Amino acid sequence: MQQQEIKALRNIKVTLLFCLLFYAAVGATQYPQKAIEFVIPFDAGGGADIEGRLLADQMSNVLGVPVVPVNKPGAGGAVAYTYLMNAPADGYVLAWNSTSILTITNLGNVPFTYEEMDHIGRVEFQPLVFAVSINSPWETLESFATDCTTGNQTIRIANSGAGSGTHLGALSLTSAIGCEVVHLPIGTRRRNATVLSGEADGMIAPLTGVINLFKAKRLKILATLSDERNPVIPEIPTASELGFNSFFDLFRGLSVPKGTPQPIINHLAEAMMQAATSETFMSFSEEVGFTVEPMMPTSFQSLLATEDEKVKTILEAAELIMSDGN
Amino acid sequence: MSGDVIQGFLQAIQPSSLVATAMGSFLGIVVGMIPGMTISSGIIIVLPLTFVLDPSISISLLLGLYVGGMLGGSFSAILLNIPGTPSAAATALDGYPLVIQGESGRALGIAVLASFGGGLLSFACLFLIAPKLADLALRFRAPDLFSLVFLGLTVICSFAAKSWVKGLLSAVIGLAIVTIGQDPILGTARFAFNNANLLSGIHFLSALIGLFAIPQLINSLDNKQPVNTSTNPIKLSFRNLFPLIEDLRRMRLPVGIGATVGSLLGMLPGAGGPIAAFISYDYTQKSTKNSQEFGKGAVEGIAAPEAANNAVTGGALVPMMTLGIPGDPVTAILIGALLVHGLAPGPLLFIEQADFAYGLIFSFFWANVFNLIIAFAALRLLVKLVATPRAILMPTIAILCVVGSYALRNSLFDVYVMLFFGLLGLIMKWLDMPVVPLLLALVLGRQLEENLRISLTSSQGDISIFFTSPFSAFFLSLSVISIIWSIRTAKKLQIKQKST
Repeated sequence: MQQQEIKALRNIKVTLLFCLLFYAAVGATQYPQKAIEFVIPFDAGGGADIEGRLLADQMSNVLGVPVVPVNKPGAGGAVAYTYLMNAPADGYVLAWNSTSILTITNLGNVPFTYEEMDHIGRVEFQPLVFAVSINSPWETLESFATDCTTGNQTIRIANSGAGSGTHLGALSLTSAIGCEVVHLPIGTRRRNATVLSGEADGMIAPLTGVINLFKAKRLKILATLSDERNPVIPEIPTASELGFNSFFDLFRGLSVPKGTPQPIINHLAEAMMQAATSETFMSFSEEVGFTVEPMMPTSFQSLLATEDEKVKTILEAAELIMSDGN
Repeated sequence: MSGDVIQGFLQAIQPSSLVATAMGSFLGIVVGMIPGMTISSGIIIVLPLTFVLDPSISISLLLGLYVGGMLGGSFSAILLNIPGTPSAAATALDGYPLVIQGESGRALGIAVLASFGGGLLSFACLFLIAPKLADLALRFRAPDLFSLVFLGLTVICSFAAKSWVKGLLSAVIGLAIVTIGQDPILGTARFAFNNANLLSGIHFLSALIGLFAIPQLINSLDNKQPVNTSTNPIKLSFRNLFPLIEDLRRMRLPVGIGATVGSLLGMLPGAGGPIAAFISYDYTQKSTKNSQEFGKGAVEGIAAPEAANNAVTGGALVPMMTLGIPGDPVTAILIGALLVHGLAPGPLLFIEQADFAYGLIFSFFWANVFNLIIAFAALRLLVKLVATPRAILMPTIAILCVVGSYALRNSLFDVYVMLFFGLLGLIMKWLDMPVVPLLLALVLGRQLEENLRISLTSSQGDISIFFTSPFSAFFLSLSVISIIWSIRTAKKLQIKQKST
């Protein structure tokens, strides 16, 4: 009797050990075993949110586990990135990053830089455009540049917020032209309205934010700040074509906490690539005007490095041309 | 054009659209009632569903949720004195006193009817004059918005009548708290102490939940305090669930004021529901004879803010549909939801997809109708909610407050903020300091600063822009009248108190 019990006990032990070994083996090879948190640094409903949600949805199809979007808005992304940095580096928390990962870290409001996170890759980019009301006297960027440099009038340029990508785009354009304007950090919700009403003379905005008013002929787009013409609006010249060397695109991609194992990063990059090039995501991009061009971890790292330099340069110069008498 | 109107009408009365509207409205009422769960969070829950649904069905669902959420927020404001949404804060002022008097059915009934009235008028605005109004709303610039928000803040004076020092102090505390976070013009950190959560500022909803709910919960711990329901047992007769004929007569003026103010302010991007609710509350108080009853359960005091906050929904749809500019956070999400379906709200919507645009407008109408039906059907159940034993009700509320403030931004920090404001609320109650000025300052303070500083940046420091713009000058003179009026009323009150 007793021996049988001991034998049974040993059998159980052996089985348990096998189970443990099996799980350990599976755990190492099959990474996503539970739901993945997909942190969106902005409010629900904006461009970042909708694009992120669609990508997360496609990624769950690829990875076979739910990829759950969670909004953690606040301080231009600072709250979400802080959360990411404190999350375990096991690949179960992703952040849907954007140019904000460079702007907020360089503004000096948060005690970390983009290098304190690991990055999966870029998913898409979209150009910043310089747009004016349809009633505006400026038909081309050159005529704007002439009026701006003569300095006879106060010119007001709206952007989505102080220190945001659009603000930096505006600073970069005006410094390329060599003139000073009043920057109005009006916020995304009222930015377009101020240009339509004439409160601002023009604005720097992401293409997705103005494409509909452009199609409806309520806004004119005078130039994009990209390296080359954008496939969505091929008729619009780039600023550099017209002789003003201002380059500033907005990007979106994925980041994970520092120290995430390389195999997991590669796995996520692969999934991100497939999700980004899925038909649903691609057709959505054409609809709203951003360009899907995924980048794998290494090339994204070097993009981040060059963009970080650019952001630094613009912000340093901006202290001299801050408009409100600072 | 008329063909599109008919097409839109047919699209909105498809059985599937109607079912979606009704479901949305039901969900909205539930979500709105939970403190901290905003209409936006309700919409986020159903958003994945709308990715796969037909656009006309998904928009019906979302509009139902929008309209239902506004009303649901008022239910918890009235029944529990905890506003479910910021727009409902004004409703609590008179709704809850009426519930304490044992007339919860009547209070809810008034709210439902007033909301319906507000919704209908804003539907009329949306349907008849949307494009023209949208262009008018565009003329509003930062100085005008500043003056409007300033006018909203003068409402504080009405609540400071008992003691100017305490009332104004309460407002100043609120304005000081609002300065925490990123500077709106320079983007630099203010009072953030290297903490990303503080950098993003204090969310007024977590403050609101703390200020209202915590003192309420602590109060209920005191056994000597009579339970509101036991002193006046609720009679669940048919008559008790509906407003009296007399009430309907008294509601006409406040609903008129609320609906007009709400529809107009809804159209201004960035003005929003709370300011509309408080301004119409204040104006109704000043224009009715029984202003003494306000704050003690006045029918008018429920009707005006309710009509206003529901009218805001229709108003906010005007700039969204005609210009693609969201008037509030919910319409921002609606735009996103439509974009997924390749429908871009904006000037082209009425040209390229006019049938869909009119379908949306009619869906908004049906959302209001279903709201009325569902709310009245649920009234009996809701009234029983207050009769729930305290030992069950109060812990449930406590849990909801924590969950709700967490759910705002998925952040535990907001829960601490809620608790901090709970403590502040207790201290203020102990000092007999009015909470409403603090609340108004929290809700409006940030807009006040942003618009003031954008105006001054734009004019390069020239203050005269606040007086040269006709809108701004109009609002500023209304503000002056409002302040003088409040001072006079306060003096009369003091004389009366001395003579007795």
